Amino acid sequence: MPSRKKAITILTGSLGSGKTTLLQSLLTHHQLTENIAIIVNEFGKIGLDHHLLRQAEEKTTLLQGGCICCHAREDLEEELKNLLFSSEQGEIDFDRIIIETTGLADPAPILFTIMTNPLLQHRFVVDGIITTVDAKNGAMQIKNHEETVKQISAADIVALTKVDIVTTEELDLICAEIIRINPTCKIFHVENGNVNPSILNVERKLYNNRLPSNYQLPPYNNTSHIHSISFAFLQPLNWNSFGVWLSLLLYAKGENILRVKGMLNVGEAGPIILNGVQHIIHPPIHLSEWPENTKVSHIVFIMKDIPPTLLHQSLFSFQTFLGTEINLLHVHCI
Amino acid sequence: MCIFCGDFIANVHWTEFKEDATSEIIVGDLQRSRQQSRIERVQFINKILVLYQLKLTEWNGSKFILSDLKGNTSIIHDLGTLWAEVEKLNGYAIDPLSADVMEKITIAN
Repeated sequence: MPSRKKAITILTGSLGSGKTTLLQSLLTHHQLTENIAIIVNEFGKIGLDHHLLRQAEEKTTLLQGGCICCHAREDLEEELKNLLFSSEQGEIDFDRIIIETTGLADPAPILFTIMTNPLLQHRFVVDGIITTVDAKNGAMQIKNHEETVKQISAADIVALTKVDIVTTEELDLICAEIIRINPTCKIFHVENGNVNPSILNVERKLYNNRLPSNYQLPPYNNTSHIHSISFAFLQPLNWNSFGVWLSLLLYAKGENILRVKGMLNVGEAGPIILNGVQHIIHPPIHLSEWPENTKVSHIVFIMKDIPPTLLHQSLFSFQTFLGTEINLLHVHCI
Repeated sequence: MCIFCGDFIANVHWTEFKEDATSEIIVGDLQRSRQQSRIERVQFINKILVLYQLKLTEWNGSKFILSDLKGNTSIIHDLGTLWAEVEKLNGYAIDPLSADVMEKITIAN
């Protein structure tokens, strides 16, 4: 039975990276078949002329004992409820909501708000996170702003903007940098703000044709704070014991695990798609069959201030517990 | 709402999503496999907790009971609340990345 929940796309990205331009182009695109409602944090210089436009002043509720990703965004809760009630009363009609964040916003509290609110979690589903990255200044922003790295690591899709004003070398460089931070994201090129509405359809399946080899862990690089590390599982994983290990890891280190994404063989007909941002894990999706050309069960962690050697050792110590053999695929330092 | 303790359960922990999130499950469906996986999960958790002299038991397919050797107990709803309660009883959190935990688990296995 198809889901009756309304889809939400979170659009994030640094200041001036082209979020509003992308949104403008998307809303006026002739191929757009969905009816879209918009929530923005601020009305930018380029005004958006849209009949379903709402503004939310960023207002965060600090939850006792929670880290930054476990804060509820009251403003969004209010606006999402307003849109929902108007839709229930037949005043407006929409299929999807796009939430445009401020340049400095962390997408994790938005996910937390939607996925834990007793009403919202049953009526909305976060379909995907799109992060805009400026092809010209992106490399500099990645180097200087931690928020940019966080936004890229949380992304399902990276919209690389201003590709028309950079050279091929610059473009290759920024693409490589993005993949180093988040090997699981898909990159869309945005030329002159033009983008195909298919950017909104996030492909949940995660492809990896890379076969496990005898990859060795490189020496720990003290100078980099962000690392992405991938593992392959050679036998079906025990989902119950893996849940115990991962929940323990996220409880102890959730703030520093920026992203977890994996396609796991748990001995069922199809794999489980696991997707998480900090402490927040999306409800895992059980696929009925394996995507074509993909049979490798694997997982990617993007971490801040955690040496990859430690995670590697921990998975190996828990190997018997997890009931599978683990093979390291690759490590990137940012 | 939990009919035993009147607890309002707002969230299903991600480890307990068994089927495609879009499909609907009728009350009473998959009870046997759900109970089996709860018991199996308790066995795995106890492999870790035994190293800290704590124990978890499954209770009526509804809750879990965490206890220590002194007789202190705590009611646990799911894995989302377990580790915080372990920290309370234990006095410190279990860190799966600490050398001590990794060594203990390797020896136990």
